[in-house]
Amino acid sequence: MTPSALREQSPAAVGSDPAYLSLTDVRKIYPNGYRAVDSLNIDVPEGQMLGLLGPSGCGKTTTLRMIAGLIEISSGHIRVAGRELAQEPPHKRDMGLVFQNYALFPHMTVAENVAFGLQMRGIPFREARTRVEEALEMVRLPGYGSRKPKELSGGQQQRVALARALVIRPRILLLDEPLSNLDAKLRDEMRVEIREIQQRLKITTVFVTHDQVEALTMCDLVGVMHKGRLAQLGTPEDIYERPNSLFVSEFVGRTNKVRAEVVDLNRIRIGSEVFSADTGGRREGTVWATVRPHRIALSPDRDRALMSRQTNAVRGRVLRVTYIGDIVQYDLDIGGAEFKVEHHTTSQGARYSGGQTLMCEWAPADMLVYGEET
Amino acid sequence: MTMSLSRAAQRRLLLWALLLPMAVVNFVTFILPMLRLGMISFIEARPGGVLTDVFTFGNYIDFFRDPFSYKLIWNSLRMSLIVTLGTLVAAYPIALFLYRVNPVWRNILFVITISPLLVSAVVRTYGWMVLLGNKGLINGLLMSAGLIDGPIRLMNNELGVYIGLIEIMIPYMALALIAGFGRLDPVYEEAAAMLGANAFTRFYRIIVPLTMPGILLGCLLVFVLSVSSFITPKLLGGGRVFLLATEVYDQAIVRLEWTQAASTSVIVLLIFGLAMMLYTRIARRYE
Repeated sequence: MTPSALREQSPAAVGSDPAYLSLTDVRKIYPNGYRAVDSLNIDVPEGQMLGLLGPSGCGKTTTLRMIAGLIEISSGHIRVAGRELAQEPPHKRDMGLVFQNYALFPHMTVAENVAFGLQMRGIPFREARTRVEEALEMVRLPGYGSRKPKELSGGQQQRVALARALVIRPRILLLDEPLSNLDAKLRDEMRVEIREIQQRLKITTVFVTHDQVEALTMCDLVGVMHKGRLAQLGTPEDIYERPNSLFVSEFVGRTNKVRAEVVDLNRIRIGSEVFSADTGGRREGTVWATVRPHRIALSPDRDRALMSRQTNAVRGRVLRVTYIGDIVQYDLDIGGAEFKVEHHTTSQGARYSGGQTLMCEWAPADMLVYGEET
Repeated sequence: MTMSLSRAAQRRLLLWALLLPMAVVNFVTFILPMLRLGMISFIEARPGGVLTDVFTFGNYIDFFRDPFSYKLIWNSLRMSLIVTLGTLVAAYPIALFLYRVNPVWRNILFVITISPLLVSAVVRTYGWMVLLGNKGLINGLLMSAGLIDGPIRLMNNELGVYIGLIEIMIPYMALALIAGFGRLDPVYEEAAAMLGANAFTRFYRIIVPLTMPGILLGCLLVFVLSVSSFITPKLLGGGRVFLLATEVYDQAIVRLEWTQAASTSVIVLLIFGLAMMLYTRIARRYE
């Protein structure tokens, strides 16, 4: 299917309003008092892809199912193009949902599966047939229409599920961990393919995943969820470079997390060493400091005076060396605290060995400071 | 010198040895009597019912010459189909509910559903007679409530047989339905809803096709049980409902015409065979 054909009958843009899908103060509280989702506020501009990222039980799937209408919200508003949908049943919401296990109807052929949503909309048979063929072409499965779902591989079923969800030209595309049942290689492929289709059709999409790589690589916006709340909402770069909490910095990517004492507004002490870092207005107290393992540069020990004043530079002793293939990980003792450092390998393998003393440097901006964990 | 067998051969021998007792019991109590039944249906009887050694097709010729036989076949098929459909309609919601209710309740409710099987069908039929009779509970209540002037006929007719048989068949149907519900996953209904299907469409486009194996199995079971039931039709039909099974009973027990009873039984068996063939043909489509 050509992108323009799919777009043709999609709802018109909502002018300058940036929020096409808008969740306002959405809550899901179960009768036993459990707050699965609490005070959720998210706006997704039209044509963008929102990734909901979080550990299991964080409320991301509940959120997706509330958008779909499969779970009733306890309070709040769900709006698409300004129209309130919270009270609409799922079959009137006009959204496409790709389930984690695909949920292809086992008693129907691939073509019947894809055509189902068109039949529900009363699309004439001939037009429906054309659109089904176009949709199967779009997911690179032309000619598979007469097969049964169980005759397809996992990746193919995934594509059929995507075609079935998109052929109805939904206002919103919802993806519930669509890649988690695929093997690693196929997952990489589908990641690119889904993103390409999404961008071609410019369809507003919500993508639920527990995999940070998927969220960072595929999405325009990432919402990190934690215990039913939105911990942070931002671009992938925001989330990775400027995590607003210790939870986000630890959940997205790897990081070193060490105890530190605030010295003044711009300095903290870790063990016996003092580092430059923005303390976020704190003048005293105990904090957590983080720095990503690959942002620490290592070099053979040399005179500190030769080094740039702009960086944190400190001696560290190599405790362990772990060779992983594409990267090598050094565990270092820096001022009494343990840091992990990761470097890409070269054909020489690991450059340093256990027991060596090295110079460790990182930019103050790479060192983030957080208060107590919540 | 002892014979030595390979381990695989020993295992195979053991499997056959384990099957043997049941095979013997089945042969003696089922296969042999069926063969005997088939033989008797081709034997001539002297007036008074004494069996001879003379081979004959007479019993079958008599059966097919008698217009009453066709009425019996028609009645049996019609009533069994109505009972099967009625049982399906009554048991399907029960089975669907049991399949979906949370597991804590499921076992308890399941036992309650099949508990009528603890009481014999004969006793339950007498129970229905107490309820359905002209001076029974239902007519009594309706009359004392002033809703009807005289009793309505709820038994000694086909209606009574339907009521009694459907009630008796519900546990069997529910069991067979649940056994065939394996493919029914709520996620398919959710998927259909997301594609725009309302509750009614979801039911007949998704739930019914997915539960078809259970529906077919239950219908086959109930149909066969209905065709062969004779006590309930006799008691609740009040001698006015004539079926193949009641005819076999009359021929064998009342009139002592064993050879005719045997040939009628073989006809019933043929009907079972046809139902079975129909079932396998349809069921294959829903594999």
